[in-house]
Amino acid sequence: MILKVKIPDKLTEQIHEADDDRIYYALPIDINRDSNYADNSFLVVTTKRILLFEEGVLANTLLISDCAGAKATARVGQGMLTLEYKGALTLVCRFSHGLTAKYAYIARGINILAGGRFEEVESNEYEPSCPICGRAIPGTSKCPHCSGEGGIVKTVRRLARPYHKSLFGIAILMILASVTTLLNPEIQKHLVDKVLLKESPGKSAAFLCLGGMFALSLGIVFVNVAKSYYSTKLGARMSHDLRGELFDKLQATPLSYINDRRPGELLNRVVSDTRVIREFMENVFCNLFTVAFIFVCDIVFMVILNPGLALLTFIPAPFAIAILLAFRKSINRRFHLQWVKNDDQSSSLQDVLSGMRVVKSYGNEKAESEKFLKLSNEYARVQMNNESFWAVFNPIIGTVLGLGLLVVVFFGGKKVLEGEMTAGELLQFMTYTTLLYQYINWMANFPRALMRLKSSVERISDVLSYNIVNKGPGEVTDINGEVVFDHTTFGYKSYKPVLEGIELSVRPGEKIGIVGPSGAGKSTLINLLMGLYEADDGVLLVDGKDIRTLDRKSFHSQLGVVLQETFLFSGTILENIRFARPGATMDEIIAAAKIANAHDFICKTPGGYDTYVGEKGYNLSGGERQRIAIARAVLADPKLLILDEATASLDTESEYLVQTALSALTKGKTTFAIAHRLSTLKDCDRLIVIDGHRVAECGSHEELIAAKGLYYELLTAQLQMQKV
Amino acid sequence: MEETGKILKFYESAGGFLGAKVENINTSKIGPDDNKNGTSNTEAGCDLTTYERVHAVRLFPFTDPAKYISIRVGSEAGEELAIIEDLADLSPEQRELVKRDLELNYFLPVINKILSIKDEYGYAYFHVITDKGPVRFAINMGGTNVTKLSETRLLITDINENRFEVRDVTKLTKKEQRKLDLFL
Repeated sequence: MILKVKIPDKLTEQIHEADDDRIYYALPIDINRDSNYADNSFLVVTTKRILLFEEGVLANTLLISDCAGAKATARVGQGMLTLEYKGALTLVCRFSHGLTAKYAYIARGINILAGGRFEEVESNEYEPSCPICGRAIPGTSKCPHCSGEGGIVKTVRRLARPYHKSLFGIAILMILASVTTLLNPEIQKHLVDKVLLKESPGKSAAFLCLGGMFALSLGIVFVNVAKSYYSTKLGARMSHDLRGELFDKLQATPLSYINDRRPGELLNRVVSDTRVIREFMENVFCNLFTVAFIFVCDIVFMVILNPGLALLTFIPAPFAIAILLAFRKSINRRFHLQWVKNDDQSSSLQDVLSGMRVVKSYGNEKAESEKFLKLSNEYARVQMNNESFWAVFNPIIGTVLGLGLLVVVFFGGKKVLEGEMTAGELLQFMTYTTLLYQYINWMANFPRALMRLKSSVERISDVLSYNIVNKGPGEVTDINGEVVFDHTTFGYKSYKPVLEGIELSVRPGEKIGIVGPSGAGKSTLINLLMGLYEADDGVLLVDGKDIRTLDRKSFHSQLGVVLQETFLFSGTILENIRFARPGATMDEIIAAAKIANAHDFICKTPGGYDTYVGEKGYNLSGGERQRIAIARAVLADPKLLILDEATASLDTESEYLVQTALSALTKGKTTFAIAHRLSTLKDCDRLIVIDGHRVAECGSHEELIAAKGLYYELLTAQLQMQKV
Repeated sequence: MEETGKILKFYESAGGFLGAKVENINTSKIGPDDNKNGTSNTEAGCDLTTYERVHAVRLFPFTDPAKYISIRVGSEAGEELAIIEDLADLSPEQRELVKRDLELNYFLPVINKILSIKDEYGYAYFHVITDKGPVRFAINMGGTNVTKLSETRLLITDINENRFEVRDVTKLTKKEQRKLDLFL
């Protein structure tokens, strides 16, 4: 994101920059003191000052040395920047939501300057809309409109490189198709002029012409079939390869890249954007050269045949294009509206059907059916309107597109009668005109298809070109399980730390319980330990080695994880347990399941270890799923174990079973366990309380109770709840 | 509803934000020990707590923006001090203070005139005149960014999560309504 916008020269003059007082940040302010949209207003932060320009006038200057605790807060429909100015909480400026994230960075920047440091805050987040053209950017680093043709051509060429043989073949087929299409009128002319209109028509010559026409028609069919076949094949292959490449890339990118994007967006890139490329190849590309070639030759031939008549034919073309575009726009609008109404109707239906119990129990049937009738009526009205519009205007458009032909018939006919043109030439000309208008339709569609392709290619190449820092192969070691957090600091958003300066050292085999209020950073601590994110500041050491230098694969194979909700893949129980170690024998799997208290319930399922579970499979209870996850972890025999609320969503009996399974599992392993219910952590050697981004307390159960701090408060609160 | 306290007086704090003095009725709930944000003192014979910064939240921002205002401690999520059932019940200068704070918390321009709506590749670009002045914004066509608050009232959310309201669609000209049709 841009944190320093260009401000008008007239305002820059008033800032009086100095060598030791330069501009750090500058952002527009778009809501003024009277709660109206502001214009020509800016907030400028220099090394020493904060300057406020309101409507082109320097309204206020604050000295950074008087400021502390700058903060950008989001409100409904707006945000505001506040700071403690000379000790009092002060409103600096207000802005609409497009600027909130930027002001959050600026607030951090002000705090850094106020703290006596001079580094500049940078933001890696993408701009939501293009600073050049103002268009919304579809989640990419560059605007597809402003990135220039050069970029897209390069990307397309890069994407197309592996397929150049097929592309070349298709191009040849396209040119063949256009040649055969263009040859046909030539033979027709010959047939009319040289054979039919002769005083003594020769039968054999006529058959020769007909034979030629037949052969050409047959040729066109073959060429077109081949062309479509190969284009479709190429499109499918290209999108398949791209999907694979995207998927691999997404798996390799750090989680922070995925977290920065809206959910579903990356899914779209893999699924929809590759589909756009396939459709482009199938529908547009396969005709691209044919149409261009025919179009150019067509015009050239017409001009050669009869320049005057050709010019007359071209005159209606721009009108036809304009009418066509207007018609299409109107049709799109109308059918979009119909689609929306249909959607309204079906979602209302779905609403009522799934909430039928509520509707019936409150006796609201009548009101609901009235509501539905109204929507249905609305839909019917729009649908009828659209159908009659279509019925009336579609033939009219056909006629308009045929206007060119009428012009040709009228003026050409006249020329034939006057003897300036032969009948065969007229026929040829008419065929060319038909071809021309036929492809105008296609040409009018082309820019839209191209833009769609451009957006998709931009989105795809945005992922593919993301630079993954390749650290090379890491160190493969057998870990003992010693873990040290040394001043570890981390935040999902760089301006908002979740953990600050965590200090903690854990001996091999020690069991650590992590407690604290929701959102304090317990799961974040564990995410760091799992290597899903990297610390922004400080280090995390495993066996004295920086976690970043360890080989990921070998490290993860020695890490066991049981989360609150266990995700089972679609597959058998056997496959799900074996997921941890694909080479495990049946004996090992049964032994693991027994340790995890899972063997008995697995025996009760109809398919035993071969029972199919997962999305569409046999329904396991939450406790059973947890125990399969534990069996998985037992099988992996990890040195480091992570339990994130492993028993939180279970009933008392399953919890007991899972707890006993867990205590078998954690024996002799370094364990980190998060739990809300403190009683589940009684076996832990040490407990740490995380609060306010830091380790607030650390010690054994008894020590923390004696200290009468946060842990004591939490514990007494929970005990009181149990009494009730 | 459990009465937690009675707001005696709003005032403007040193930095220009809304402050409040509260008479403690249920002292177990709000008191100097419970709440670090408030300072307690005795003024005019009653037990008072002064909050340097409170903020106002509309409970029914669309149905009735001037009624049922919740007064909360601090500047973000905080404990509720009281509910003002109707702003009109307050004295003019007290009302101004609360109104000013509401303005800081809500910015919801009302669209009075639609100059143009252009749809292009999945986004619709609006150019409108609102009661807060002219503005351009873009919405994503894919999602549910135009919601109906009632048959004639619309709420539009743009790509940056700014919100715009159309009070009464039927008050717009036929031409403007046709432009909006795509989103209804």
